[in-house]
Amino acid sequence: MECRELTDRAINRLLEEAAAAELEDFDRHLAGCERCVRELAVIEETWDALGADRDAAVTPEFRARTLALLHDEVDRRRMREFRPRARAARILARAAALFVAAVAGFAVARGGLPAIRSAGTSSPVAGPAKSAPDLAGNPRLSNVAYRTDPDGRVGIEFDATTRHTVVGRPDDPEVSTLLAYLLLRNGETAGEKSRAIELVSGHYGSGAGAGVASPEIVRALAATLKGDRNPGVRKKAAEALASFRSSPEIRTALLESLANDPNPGVRLVAVEALAASAREAPDPKTIQSLREKAVDPQENGFVRARAASALKAIDL
Amino acid sequence: MAGGLSDDRVLLERIRGGDASGAEELFERYAPALLRFASRMLSDRDTAEEVTQEVFVKVISRAHQYDGRAAVSSWLFAIAANACRDRRRRDHRANVVPLEAVAELPSRGEGAEARLDGRQRRAAVRRALQGLSEEQREALVLARYHGLPYAEIARILGISVGAVKTRIFRAVETLKARFSEGEALWNVVN
Repeated sequence: MECRELTDRAINRLLEEAAAAELEDFDRHLAGCERCVRELAVIEETWDALGADRDAAVTPEFRARTLALLHDEVDRRRMREFRPRARAARILARAAALFVAAVAGFAVARGGLPAIRSAGTSSPVAGPAKSAPDLAGNPRLSNVAYRTDPDGRVGIEFDATTRHTVVGRPDDPEVSTLLAYLLLRNGETAGEKSRAIELVSGHYGSGAGAGVASPEIVRALAATLKGDRNPGVRKKAAEALASFRSSPEIRTALLESLANDPNPGVRLVAVEALAASAREAPDPKTIQSLREKAVDPQENGFVRARAASALKAIDL
Repeated sequence: MAGGLSDDRVLLERIRGGDASGAEELFERYAPALLRFASRMLSDRDTAEEVTQEVFVKVISRAHQYDGRAAVSSWLFAIAANACRDRRRRDHRANVVPLEAVAELPSRGEGAEARLDGRQRRAAVRRALQGLSEEQREALVLARYHGLPYAEIARILGISVGAVKTRIFRAVETLKARFSEGEALWNVVN
């Protein structure tokens, strides 16, 4: 072994990747080279020092959140798999069309069309128009199933979904209500909620704190900031609120988040937003809260430092 | 690694078959290691958790793509390494939340002074790790903190064993130089 190979050999030894012969060669060299002994000590000290970095642990909250997400994902995939594939559906549709044509031909030959039974009910209806969707809207028909009665009638079952597009200014009541609904009720996963928040933030927040959001949106974001179990979603909600023009409702939501949110990243966003708001219009409650945070020994060091520097920047 | 080779493959089969408890078991086995890996690659607890979640969601959607050539654990680490790289590229805010915000479990029996000293040491080490290139850090973290052999690291990162050795060598040289700058190792803290 040569001196220039020391680091390589030392790492092999530390990782238990060195063969017996290599180890013997290594030890032989060390026995006669004081410089390599000193150098080895530095390498080993460096290696040991890395052990000071503590491992992140899976918290019960993260575990519960992720397992719920995984269950949702598996369920979603299972439901997707149950849908008939496009090719299979086409074949089934052709088979059904042939069957319907045959039945109709037979019925015509016997002197009249049979009544069609409404899907999902047992009461006969006058014609297909009442139970069939408006095909002009090109609805997507899924989960199609066919059945026949012994008397020669057919039933066609399906789910019909229609895509809606709502277009309007962000402050239109209909758009605003829809966005609030998406935020609070429709976002099932953290990703969906985050996208809804980004959309809201993109529409209402100007990035310079000048956006004015509807009260409905502010309420939805405040509720998300207060109650969502995912810290990433809460952080996004706080950032969105911070991008709007400050209001008493927004301040209250951020103050509550600063006081109670368990995640320092979320509290950090709250501190910064409150500091920006207080610089424009000093509010006694906000300043008091920042003062408390700046000296709170239990608070995360970075949040504490940001609260202290924010106070310095406010003209009191 | 946490689970036996065949056990892990059985779990993947169960996930493919739509069995959520298979995903749950895989999470229990590998989430601690993957979260540790992600938190060292990203240094932000929230982002590391999100990426770890992403890995398991991807496993559910890609279970059918697992070809059995590598151990399931290697496959998971490969997905995690890619997800971390994507995240760092996509989200330039990945390092916004500072190290101090990373939740840590308190050690028993540490006095206030020792806690402060320990925190400074951890911060210094984490800063030094962040100073490495992404490629060097990946290889070093897998070797030093996960105890993986060169060959497995090579499979995970899709590189040769020689390249793994080179990356670890350079990482150690960089850290050694950084830690040796002052008289004592921990003088680098401030």
